[in-house]
Amino acid sequence: MLPADELLARMSGLLRHEIGPAVSDPFPKTQAFMASVVLDKVAAGLRHGAAHAQANDADRRTLADDLRVATTAADPAPLRAAIDALPTPQGDGALASLVTALYAGRAELGPERFDTLLARVRQTLRARLDRQLEVAS
Amino acid sequence: MSGENSSDRSMTDRIADYLGTALGTTDLEMTGVERIAVGWSHETWLFDATWSAQGAQHQRGFCLRRDPGNALLRDLSNLREQYRVLQCLHGTAVPSPEPYFYEDDPAILGAPFLVMEKVPGECPSPWGREGRRFYQEAADRGVLPGDFTDTLVKLHTLDWRGAGLDFLGVPEPGTGFILREIAKWRHLIDQAVAEADLDPVLVDVLGWLEANAPSTDRFVLVHGAYRTGNLLIHDDHVSAVLDWETPCIGDPMYDVAYMLSELNREGTDLLSNLVEQDEFIRRYEAGTGLEIDVDVCDYYHVLYSMRSAAFWLSASNLFATGRNPDLRLARTAWSVPVVLDQAARRLGF
Repeated sequence: MLPADELLARMSGLLRHEIGPAVSDPFPKTQAFMASVVLDKVAAGLRHGAAHAQANDADRRTLADDLRVATTAADPAPLRAAIDALPTPQGDGALASLVTALYAGRAELGPERFDTLLARVRQTLRARLDRQLEVAS
Repeated sequence: MSGENSSDRSMTDRIADYLGTALGTTDLEMTGVERIAVGWSHETWLFDATWSAQGAQHQRGFCLRRDPGNALLRDLSNLREQYRVLQCLHGTAVPSPEPYFYEDDPAILGAPFLVMEKVPGECPSPWGREGRRFYQEAADRGVLPGDFTDTLVKLHTLDWRGAGLDFLGVPEPGTGFILREIAKWRHLIDQAVAEADLDPVLVDVLGWLEANAPSTDRFVLVHGAYRTGNLLIHDDHVSAVLDWETPCIGDPMYDVAYMLSELNREGTDLLSNLVEQDEFIRRYEAGTGLEIDVDVCDYYHVLYSMRSAAFWLSASNLFATGRNPDLRLARTAWSVPVVLDQAARRLGF
């Protein structure tokens, strides 16, 4: 049996090169082309999904380790809780909570520490975004 | 343009019935009915009508916009407000269609709608090959780029209080305008995505925007999406400013930044595929007496990336929730990382 991503890629090709061109009405023709585009994206997501999830998990664990070293018990409690949640299966939700906690604790952290911590978080965000772009672009 | 099917014919009959009653005639005839297939917001119908009333024959072109209830920006924009904006603009220097009727009774056409003047002109999409050629040729002839800039000058020098546009809401001086704008688009995001599923880059962008909002206290009528594709062009002049879906009273740099944005150039250095940047800045500053603030425009570029993310999230959600079956909306889910990448690069990562 064909792997799912390859099956979707073939369906996409069929819609783009065979079915779409055979349709004369502009709206369904556009829909056939868009179906092809969407299937390509879903196929790419299936192809990269497991590897990306693994890399994202590893990045969050490393980020948690780095931020534990860079923070102390005197730092805002929501920030420390968000750091502790990073390695859990909450995944992206934990990253979003961390960014929220950082901005909420900005005044308490002071501009210099805020900038340092945010810069480290953004390294992880950039790596994650690059993986998303592999599928989206 | 879509072909006229039986559902379109039925709608045509209902429009004719309504318009005949509204104009006080029993012999109204509609010709040249077109349902325009551009845009993802409201349905747009163009037609000409002839009728007799008070002993005279009349002929006029009409444009009808109908809210199907499942369109983009449904939560930020409504036809009643657009109608009111057009009423305020009528008779001012800003070229715009004269509004005739607004109805929100769904018993008439199944959904709220407005009827306005059919202004002569065309509105090529700047994203397609033909549209790009249209604007490039107009740029080469040299008249439209200046008129395009001058029309923005007219918008930004309009006495908006005198025109009655303060109903749009006048922000407090300081960060009032920008924080209101962030909240408006954040609301759209919240309607499309649960808090727990928010992309962390988007959370960062929203946090940065709120923390770095510049202060502004000069307010004008802001169109909110001033670019080619949202304007009618006739004889190398802007015959009407269209798409009054996100107008507000706010910072003129908000429109200027949109003009300068890379979002609105398709493989050309020309702003909106039409105007050279230096010439736009010179002419705009001379016309308005305002100095373009590049730093503030840089801030707005990040805000526009957030706005685009909100727009695409809302669009893909319309498909995901089954409210709109158009696959073009489904595709926009993958546009979100692309605009977040633009924002992240502007923020330095």
